[in-house]
Parts: sequence; C-alpha cells; structure tokens
Amino acid sequence: MRTEQAAVERQAVERIVLGAFGELTGRRSEPLRFTIMDDTPVGVLGLAAGVRGLRHVNYVRGEDEFVERLLAEHGDVPVLRDALDTVRRALDRYFAGRRLAFDLAVDLGDLPPFNRLVLDATARIPAGRVATYSDVASRAGSPRAQRAAGNALHNNPVAIVVPCHRVLRSDGSLGGYGGGVTRKEWLLAHEGARPASL
Amino acid sequence: MTTAPSSARAAHRIAVLLTRHGEELARHVRRMVRDDDVAQDILQDTMIRAHAALARLAPQSNERAWLYRIATNAALNHLRSKARERAALGRHAAESSAAFAAGGGWTDESDERRDALWAGVAQLPARQRTALTLRIVDELDYEEIARRIGGTAAGARANVYQATRKLRLGVSTP
Repeated sequence: MRTEQAAVERQAVERIVLGAFGELTGRRSEPLRFTIMDDTPVGVLGLAAGVRGLRHVNYVRGEDEFVERLLAEHGDVPVLRDALDTVRRALDRYFAGRRLAFDLAVDLGDLPPFNRLVLDATARIPAGRVATYSDVASRAGSPRAQRAAGNALHNNPVAIVVPCHRVLRSDGSLGGYGGGVTRKEWLLAHEGARPASL
Repeated sequence: MTTAPSSARAAHRIAVLLTRHGEELARHVRRMVRDDDVAQDILQDTMIRAHAALARLAPQSNERAWLYRIATNAALNHLRSKARERAALGRHAAESSAAFAAGGGWTDESDERRDALWAGVAQLPARQRTALTLRIVDELDYEEIARRIGGTAAGARANVYQATRKLRLGVSTP
C-alpha cells in the first residue's frame, strides 16, 4: 500500500512537471530520463534514455554539464531525473568484469543514416576483439568512407555500450577517442584486447 | 496567472531549473496544497519568478533553497486565500439559512432544511447550479470549475456568487 501510494505520487508529480515543461518551455515530446554514475573506473558518466532505449552514455564533469548538454541537443524534449537501474546494473557488471556484453535497447534514431550504420556495425564487435576504421566503413556499406566513419565514431552518443573504443587504425595504433585515448586504453585492457601495459 | 517566457534563452533557463528541481518542488507543493492543478500553477509561477530574479542572484548561491522558499510562500498564499473562500461560503450558507428561517416554513429538522435548500438549488439556472455544486459539494477551486463548465475562473466565481445570492432571495421571497 505504501509503495502503491508512492507510485501514485510519483506519477502525479511527473505529470505536474511535464505540464510545466509544456506550458513554459514548449517541450512536449516524450521525456528523456537521465542519471549520473560518478563512481566508474573511467570517471563520471552521464546516462540518458527515452522510451525506445538508451540514447546517451557520455563522459561528463558532472550533472550540471550533462543537463545543459541534453537540453541543448534535444530542443523539444523535457528532461527528468531517473534511477535508470537496468542501464546502471549493466554498466556495473561490465566494469566489474562479470559481463562485458550489453543487452540494452539503444536508440540511435536521431542520427544521420550513415552514422547509424557505422555504429550498428561497431555494436557487433564483441568484447576482446577490435576492428579498423575501414572495417566498419565497409560494413556500413562505404568502404572508402574511413574518415566519415571516424567522425561517426567520434560522435558516438552511447559510449562503451556501443563500443567505438574497439575501432583502431589499420596499422594497429589506437587512433582517437571522444573520451580521450587514456580511457580507450583502459577499456581495451579491461576487455583483454590489449596488454594493460600499453 | 503565469505567461510563458518570451525568449528561447529564458525557455532554456527555465528548462534547466525544471530538470534540476522540478520534481522535488512539485512534490513539496503538491503535499501542501493537495491539488495537482494548483500545484502545477504554483510550480510555473515559481519558475517564472525564479527566472526573472535569477540574473540578480549570485552564481553559486543556493538556488534550491531559494526556489523552495518561493514555492512555499506561493503555496501558503494559496492556502490562506482558500481558507478565506471557505469562511465566506460558510457565511453565505449561514445567511441563506437565516433568511430561509425568517421566511418561515421550516421546522428545526436539519433534513427538511437541507431539502428546502436543495429545492432552491434545483431552481437555479444550470450554469449557476453546476458551479455552486462543484464549489460546495466537490470543493473544487474556481480554476477547476471553469475547466469543467467552460469560461474563466472569474466567471465561475461570479456564477457561484449569483447562485448564493439567489438562494438567499429565493427562500425569503418565494
């Protein structure tokens, strides 16, 4: 009964806030729900999901920066805090090394088609393996679009879960990473793809 | 009533405030006023006032505590005016009964008095009758009454006023 009451209150409170979002800011689309994970081995992560799935795993300094970013990137969407327990647990398991694969619904619907194809190809690289920029460009149907593929990976909104850190240069060097090369090294070493000494 | 902020910058600023503090403030205000529509109005007022005054606030002053204060004051004001309304209605009801008593024709039985009063209510024009019932029986506020019968809150208030006035006259001069 108590939890039922709490659920009723939560729903009413959410309706009130969404109503105010609509009236005052014109943001009336499905809300984006976010949380901050500030205790991971790769630093602070901002997570955000919509009804169709996970939309953001970003390296951020803190909540303020993440909220500004979400609101700036999604002009018609109200943004609400949430626990996002499923996503959080999946990332906890990943960082603990208990399960390196993710079974999360990811929503890349906002991205240009080519970026989506590149990230879909990237999502199929298993943990412990790596691919090259030309590999993913080929799998996205444009073998010569390596640079564009690199850009698509650099702008991957769903870091770690869509493992753009598993894409390297053809000569085996690391290449770049949106979150900084140090993080890319850590993730690859964690997955056993590269010696930790690298 | 609040009006939507004009500039995109203002809308963004308010969106940031709503994201950071909206749910917490809404829960607080809703628990105070026990009415979702009123809570939303108060939340919106709070956001607009906050946005207007935020420029004057030092960057790292306690935004949250400050929003809480604005929202709490708005909720208290609402509760006070609601208490005043209740008292006024109580007086109307007392006057109606007294006028009815002065006209004679009722015993001291409260059932009969109530029946007579509701017979008077049944004679009212539909709009006034509905407004009065929503106000006294359902204890809705004028915003909500206006939402249900159409028109404005002020219009709903006028309807209730007319209804109580007619009841007083009606029972004394049948």
